[in-house]
Amino acid sequence: MRAKTIKKKVEVKNKKSEVKAKKTTTAKTTAKATAKKAAPKPAAKPAAKKAAVVQSAIKKPAPAPAVRIPQMKGVALSHPAGKAKKTPMVAASAPKPLPAIEKRQDGSVLVRGLVGGQRTPSRILEEQIQQLVQEGARNLTIVADGQHGIGGRIWPRSEKVQITIEGPAGQRVGSMGFDGTEIVVRGSASDDVGWINCGAKITVLGDVTNGAFNAAAQGILYVQGSGGARCDTMTKRNPRFDPPQSWYFRNVGDSFAEFKAGGIAVVCGVNPRNPENILGYRPCVGMVGGTIYFRGKIEGYSERDVKLLDLSETDWEWLTTNMKPYLEAIDRTEYYGELTRSIDDWKKLVAYTPQEKAQKKKYQIDIKNFRKVAWEKEVGQGGIFAEFLDHDLTLLPYVTTGKDRRNVPVWANDKYAPPCAAGCPSHIPSHKRATLIREGKLAEAISLVLQYSPLPATVCGTICPNLCMQSCTRGRLDAPLAIDKLGKLALDIPAPRKADPTGHKVAVIGGGPGGMSAAWQLALKGHTVSLYEASAKLGGKIEMCIPHERLPQEILQKEISRFTELGVKLHLNTRVDQKLFEEIYRNNEIVIVAIGAHQPRKIAFPGSDQITSAYDFLRSVNMGSAPDLKDKKVVVIGAGNVGMDVAIEAYNCGASQVTAVDIQKPAAFGKEMQAATAKGAQILYPKFTERFDPAAKKLYFKDGSSIDADVVFMSIGDVPVLDFLPPDVHVEKGWLQVSDLGQTSDVKVYGVGDATGLGLVTHAIGQGALVADVVHYQMAHAPRAPEVKQQIAYERIKTQYYEACKLEFEPNAEGNRCMSCASCRDCRMCENTCYEQAISRVDLGNGRFEYVVDENKCIGCGFCAGICPCGVWEMVENV
Amino acid sequence: MEPAAGVTLDNNHRLTPKELQYIIRWNSDRCKRCGRCTAACPVKAIEPTVRVQRMTFSEGPIPKPGAQRRVVHAISQVTDPERACVGCATCTLVCPNEAIEPELNERNKLLHYKNKGGDGYKRGGRRNDPSISVLDRLKFTRISMLTDPALDAGRHEFRVRSLLGRVLPPEELPLKAVDGKLIVDSAADKFIPPVREIFPIMIGSMSVGALSPPMWEGLAMGVAYLNEVEGLPVVMASGEGGMPPRLLRSRYLKYFIIQIASGYFGWDEIVRALPHMVEDPAAIEIKYGQGAKPGDGGLLMAQKVLKLISGIRGVPQFVDLASPPTHQTKYSIEEAVAKMIQSMSMAWGFRVPVYPKISGTKTARAVLNNLARNPYAAALSIDGEDGGTGAAYNVSMDKMGHPIASNLRECYLDLVKQGKQNELPLIAAGGVGKRGNLAANAAALIMLGASVVSIGKYIMQAAADCFGDEHNRCNLCNTGKCPRGITTQDPKLYRRLDADKVALRTVEVFKAANVELKKIFAPMGRSTELPIGMSDGLSIDDKAMAERLGITYAC
Repeated sequence: MRAKTIKKKVEVKNKKSEVKAKKTTTAKTTAKATAKKAAPKPAAKPAAKKAAVVQSAIKKPAPAPAVRIPQMKGVALSHPAGKAKKTPMVAASAPKPLPAIEKRQDGSVLVRGLVGGQRTPSRILEEQIQQLVQEGARNLTIVADGQHGIGGRIWPRSEKVQITIEGPAGQRVGSMGFDGTEIVVRGSASDDVGWINCGAKITVLGDVTNGAFNAAAQGILYVQGSGGARCDTMTKRNPRFDPPQSWYFRNVGDSFAEFKAGGIAVVCGVNPRNPENILGYRPCVGMVGGTIYFRGKIEGYSERDVKLLDLSETDWEWLTTNMKPYLEAIDRTEYYGELTRSIDDWKKLVAYTPQEKAQKKKYQIDIKNFRKVAWEKEVGQGGIFAEFLDHDLTLLPYVTTGKDRRNVPVWANDKYAPPCAAGCPSHIPSHKRATLIREGKLAEAISLVLQYSPLPATVCGTICPNLCMQSCTRGRLDAPLAIDKLGKLALDIPAPRKADPTGHKVAVIGGGPGGMSAAWQLALKGHTVSLYEASAKLGGKIEMCIPHERLPQEILQKEISRFTELGVKLHLNTRVDQKLFEEIYRNNEIVIVAIGAHQPRKIAFPGSDQITSAYDFLRSVNMGSAPDLKDKKVVVIGAGNVGMDVAIEAYNCGASQVTAVDIQKPAAFGKEMQAATAKGAQILYPKFTERFDPAAKKLYFKDGSSIDADVVFMSIGDVPVLDFLPPDVHVEKGWLQVSDLGQTSDVKVYGVGDATGLGLVTHAIGQGALVADVVHYQMAHAPRAPEVKQQIAYERIKTQYYEACKLEFEPNAEGNRCMSCASCRDCRMCENTCYEQAISRVDLGNGRFEYVVDENKCIGCGFCAGICPCGVWEMVENV
Repeated sequence: MEPAAGVTLDNNHRLTPKELQYIIRWNSDRCKRCGRCTAACPVKAIEPTVRVQRMTFSEGPIPKPGAQRRVVHAISQVTDPERACVGCATCTLVCPNEAIEPELNERNKLLHYKNKGGDGYKRGGRRNDPSISVLDRLKFTRISMLTDPALDAGRHEFRVRSLLGRVLPPEELPLKAVDGKLIVDSAADKFIPPVREIFPIMIGSMSVGALSPPMWEGLAMGVAYLNEVEGLPVVMASGEGGMPPRLLRSRYLKYFIIQIASGYFGWDEIVRALPHMVEDPAAIEIKYGQGAKPGDGGLLMAQKVLKLISGIRGVPQFVDLASPPTHQTKYSIEEAVAKMIQSMSMAWGFRVPVYPKISGTKTARAVLNNLARNPYAAALSIDGEDGGTGAAYNVSMDKMGHPIASNLRECYLDLVKQGKQNELPLIAAGGVGKRGNLAANAAALIMLGASVVSIGKYIMQAAADCFGDEHNRCNLCNTGKCPRGITTQDPKLYRRLDADKVALRTVEVFKAANVELKKIFAPMGRSTELPIGMSDGLSIDDKAMAERLGITYAC
């Protein structure tokens, strides 16, 4: 069954085309050369004789065969008729040719590959040989004429089949040869001798050309001469059989043993063609198995694939043992002594194992070493940039601590102003009141405001629009902290304790909120303050112009009396003129001008002389001489907060309808606006007044419209009266000019409140406190600008920690409602959150504390800053 | 406008992460709140924050409400476009719990917002075009098996080398035979242009300053290693911004091409180093344009101009260094290029090849034709639109420039028409290795006509793990905040980068490219010389492209 299959394959191959044997001159010349060079005298004789035989076989064509070559039944049938015809079977000429097959007496058979001058095709010769062996021939001599693959594919039998090839053998002698086949080539062989050898023993008494033993898997190749290029390539070893052996007496050509995967090659190096390199150019590329024993010089090998080793005792025993039959086969036994003289004459090449390859260094020199011995040796210690770098020449991780952090946290406690304090023109730090409440110090919390304002119940608690509350972060969650109510609670608190007297004298001109604030602060600091007020009462516009309905008098009076208790020298009913000013200026270190703005501004248009100013109207109301406006239609020109107060009072005086007009969007807001509109006040804008006709009781506008107006009040603001000031104190467009710190062009003179520009009462109080601070430092010869803190960004306050609630006002609860913006509430959230445990709280005694960062632990992640309820932690770049 | 009375504005004009190019996916359950991500994020796109979770519940048989409220800490994404997540994934890299990663948001509108302050969006990186480039579409279709000698890249030894410098045709070479040997006939008094034999892939110009010290030194050291140990003659161009004096004075200088650009930074230092040079540089490159940003100049921000840059560029510290889009003394091709080539050649005694580098452009052929007539011009380098840069306007990067393939091809064919294709080498760059196919892209360009191919971004990605990609990932090169430490002068960042590792990777990249180029050239039957212009080996699966490139269409 098996044989049949193989036979079919052969047939298929035959059908394709006759592969012409390569009849190279190489074969001839190498044969000659082998004869001449390889075997010096006296060993030359037998070789020369054999070579001569070969020559004659080639040169003298044998006569054509006389008889028809017997055809094998089965094989013959398989050939297509046409092809069979082409094959010259019968000699054409008369001289009697020698027969193609000649059976001898001793049982051997001579097969001629050239019959009557006609070359027997490889296919036919193959058939003949196969047929003969099948018929029992065991000793065949083939006189070849370049036929392909002679001697191969003879299935193993109980006896050996010996094939001797004379004449020019074609390519692939003995290809696919089996064990039991012994081939002797009497002369040189062409390419690919022993191709895919499966066990045949092939002896070539000459050279083998390129590709000998290619892909051999078993068997033996003995070569008397040299090998050509690419010998022993792709040989392998099947574990079921002995490995293939190839023996070369002289040397081998280039690219020897490429991709060798198994088997043993021996290159004896006797009289090599190139004594400098017996293994040719680049042997062993891709070799993964097997062994090459060689004797002689080489010029390199594929170092990636194989290693060069000395022979072991086992190697040596194998070599010396197997050398004998080899030398006998090639008739060179006389070299045994020379070839086995010393183990040291020999070397072997063996493939690296995959494990060895994996462990092999990929680089001749590792980079670190290259840096040391080559790079830095040439460019200098530390590399090409070292001379410019200040840092350690080391690596850093992505997450770093200490000075290598990209950002570092800062416990910026109170560095920024909370929105309440920043929003309050008086800069009252309401969050500190909340802190005191949380600490259980309610009384301290309530009285704290007196450090900032003499009129907390009046202003914070009553008339102020409470910009602090409008700014309050808590307002973003539910409702702002009840700062107004906290302010009101201060009504009954006595004045704080004054500092020890300093002896410094300061005069304040004007007893309105600005002047009172400055005097209050300076008095608290221990300075001697003289306050000059033109009217009979302190309070300025609060006292004169704010409707009593909005400001109950008892509150104001109570706070004024607390003010007077502080010991400020009051000069009521004292209008300061130029002369008095000069005196005041002379007798005081500092003069603070806080005279307010009491001269109503008016615009002139027809009928404007019939119009009362808001100032005069409001003042008359508060002085108890209000006009009767019963059922009157009142128009207020100017819809600011004063205009609203006018509207309120006009209704109080009996007006039936009050309309405020303005040239732009009304500036009124807050409580004033609410109170006025609640009473029914209308606001019209934009309206540019053209004229007032008192007779027609109409106010005409430039747009052609008009409005009924029994009474018209002008409420477009007031200006100060500053005619008492010397020219050194610069006044521009009616207003006292001051710097950001309240200083006028005369370093001794400061300005506060409406005299410098119209504002809220709280502005005047804030300016008074500011100027008092500046003056305080100036008199102490340590002038400085008071620190103005930036407001903290709302996003930094984590309102998420707080739950919206519906609380009625209760002072103690306000402490916890306050979000303590920008001011540490000592909750230890940071300490608990810090994954690296870098944050700790340090107790400084007296209730003081701080949070510190261990920079050797901190990685600058920003968690503390991201989660701090108060926005106290901030990340800054680490430079 | 003012907020309405009594209200607080909340989300007005705030963006959602949906507008941004990358959305942070954060897994609260996995997160241990260690802060490594927020510590490492280069743009502060994420920050720790506080979240409220509140749930009302009712237990029992009748409605009986209770509420549970928990305040937890979380990582949240900042939606300010100036701090938009760039997708670098440094957070993912440092996260011990795989709790965070940026996700590309294809529907983003980032470009609608990147113009704050009335200035255009500036960034580093490359053209954001993730489509498959022409280079990646080119196939090698002429495989030798039986028609002509097929080689085995592993078995056959052959060298992949190219020539940089003008190659005179044999008949013009002033040679004479004396005693059977060819020698230069000095009596002929003919100029023989300098020529260098180099590996056909070079590292393109990236300046000291654009690159951090370890990045630049790593590349330089890798190049030295390749030459000295591996015998692979890879060269590297300096970029504009001078050369480290230690390198100028070392014998490794021969592996470097020194660039001169419109800012001429560091050139007084280079000129002063001339008498101390023990080797000539490989070549001099005159930069006229950059493929990534044609017509856009460079600006090294003052914050990067520290002691190192100041020393090497020969400028004071803390000043902006502008490289204008054009050379100030350039009036015409003839005048400008000729005089620059003359000056630079003269500086090294006409021993060093000098060539100009231009952006890929329709006018490249005009420049080329001029150079073809200039005996001192050593090559022409063309940088296509897919090139990279450290800093440019997004619009310049995305929209300006010419793709390299057809630009190179038409230039090469012009040379062929003049019979000068073997004389004046073309250097091609821009998008080589965009998708990692370094050798294939290089081979394709070579077969379209390039003698040398230049790489930049690829080596940053391959040798230093640059995060950048065609989806605008990272691209922080211009900000000095490179999370890999490649394009920053901040020691805190660049000390993350190990110059030795960069060098090793550079060596690996070029060794592998050498193997792969052989794997391409060997089956095509080429071994002994580079298949420059061997366009019959190329095909493309697009008829129009095939026609434009003069190659076959294959599908």
